[in-house]
Amino acid sequence: MSSVEQNATAIARVAGNVPRSQRFTNGVRRWWPYYVMLAPGLLFFLIWHYFPIWEAKMAFEQVRIIPPNLWVGLKHFQTLFASPVFYQVLANTLIISTLKILFVFPVPIIVALLLNEVRSGRLRKFVQSAIYLPHFLSWVVIAGIFIAILSPSDGAVNQITGFFGAKPTAFMTDGNSSRWVLVFSEIWRSAGWDSLLYLAAIIGIDQSLYEAAELDGANRWQKVWHVTIPGIVPTIATLFILNMGMFLSADLNQVINFLNDVNRGQIDILDTYVYRIGLRTGEYSLATAAGLFKAVFGMILILSAHFVSKRLTGKGVW
Amino acid sequence: MAAPRGTAIRRTPLERIEYAIIVTTLLAMVVVMLQPILNLLAVSFSDPSQVAGKSGLDIWPSGFSLDVWALLLQHPNVQRGILNSIFITATATFIGVVGTALMAWGLSRPNLPGRRVIFLLVLVTIVFEPGIIPDYFLMKRMGLLDSYWSVILYKAVNAWYLIILVRFFEEIPEELLEAAELDGANPFQIFFQVVLPLAKPALATIALFYLVFHWNEFFRAMIYLNDQTKYPLQVVLRQFVVEGDKLAIVGADNAANNIGVAQINLKALKAGMIIITILPILAIYPLILKFFTKGTMSGALKG
Repeated sequence: MSSVEQNATAIARVAGNVPRSQRFTNGVRRWWPYYVMLAPGLLFFLIWHYFPIWEAKMAFEQVRIIPPNLWVGLKHFQTLFASPVFYQVLANTLIISTLKILFVFPVPIIVALLLNEVRSGRLRKFVQSAIYLPHFLSWVVIAGIFIAILSPSDGAVNQITGFFGAKPTAFMTDGNSSRWVLVFSEIWRSAGWDSLLYLAAIIGIDQSLYEAAELDGANRWQKVWHVTIPGIVPTIATLFILNMGMFLSADLNQVINFLNDVNRGQIDILDTYVYRIGLRTGEYSLATAAGLFKAVFGMILILSAHFVSKRLTGKGVW
Repeated sequence: MAAPRGTAIRRTPLERIEYAIIVTTLLAMVVVMLQPILNLLAVSFSDPSQVAGKSGLDIWPSGFSLDVWALLLQHPNVQRGILNSIFITATATFIGVVGTALMAWGLSRPNLPGRRVIFLLVLVTIVFEPGIIPDYFLMKRMGLLDSYWSVILYKAVNAWYLIILVRFFEEIPEELLEAAELDGANPFQIFFQVVLPLAKPALATIALFYLVFHWNEFFRAMIYLNDQTKYPLQVVLRQFVVEGDKLAIVGADNAANNIGVAQINLKALKAGMIIITILPILAIYPLILKFFTKGTMSGALKG
């Protein structure tokens, strides 16, 4: 039933067969309390999400100290697309997102498969409680922890590599390793927690499939390969597509805490670039233009992700 | 949680070895996740004179001293940071939960006229975000820059949490609501006396989502607040540990005269600061495990 039909039946139920105008008054009489309760939240959405869209027109204007601003059309976009820094940060964003898809994305799947093999409920609970924790720490805290772990003088990683005779490396300020620091800190933060979604999918698998496989003499790996993994493929697909939808983000909150003057060439992403040129150097219009570029392509990605996911797995982004 | 056991009762030696490898891998993960935090805890309780060069692998204090903790907890920047964080988190969580619950209740009524339009308005915000700079100028235009309210009110109602609650409310049996209506309850009474008591676990979940989100939030506070005395703990921590601005905690006077704070090893101070910032999360962690797990599995895909 379409929403129009639904509304019509709803109003008809309340109002009976009555004239249009009276139907409207009756509708108001019935629904106004719900609109009153809806209002504050709706107001928040309109203010915090729709006013900024209006403010974004700044990307097409010359900001002047004394308003009004001057309309300049696509000038800032031309400046942006002519700037080598823009292509550098775009490339960094794409590279970091690719690395995360390749090296971060599979880890929670493996963790879930491992957790599912643990027979002792207590042991499994213990492991889960421990590995979920990093997800709830802020990126400021995680960056602080990684600064300590990766310290060239006494950090845990250099202590271990030093044991095998390697020279200490200052990973945080070494351009070559900074992207990998992002990958590993992301794994540290989310490998445990993200496994929960896969574990939920595994629990949903029909038990009789395992029993049938056992009757056929399947061993642990055959059961994982032929029952468990096919059972979680829809979840994997959904989450993969979701990740693709966020491809242009590469996580501002993370990167901004790992970024420094030495590794800027490697891990400066679109969002940190927008932040820097906009709020640090005050090139508001150019920054807004870069932000809009990301917003528009991000929207295309998320919408494609949503519809592809819906098509393939029946589950969308929302 | 009853996970399917994919294992036969009789086990061959090979299977035992496999199992040992699986358990070892998982325990290694536990160590990787917890050891760094234990190390920082140990450093913060160590004798400051023995902290320099203390291995990152240690999880036991070298000597014992409360100097770092005493200093940090008496430090005005840290004290203010704690109070600011508590105030911002508590207020924002309260506003968020109330706003989300009220809105979700309206949206969960299938026959509400305009329901689809409002839903669409919400979904658009998930898909299209114009970015940091327009947000910043909106704050400026509203005169909220450098005010606590900028951080508290910024996106106070979260679209994902709203969707989770709408789904929950939709599942409340219609008969229950109709019964209340027949008893003469108006929609407000139904919401507060029938729906909310039923929704306690869902509300607790949403409250925890907001709580963790606001406690961990630093970026918006960093850009909207100029006045250092309004900084939440995360921003103080960021200044000190990530930006390496030791004056944030040590203070110029102390550094120049080498008194008090400046004499304590910076590494120990940083470790203590990190632990202070995560203590509230650790304190509510049992609740998080209880509610987040369910909320994430039933609702949106990402917590």
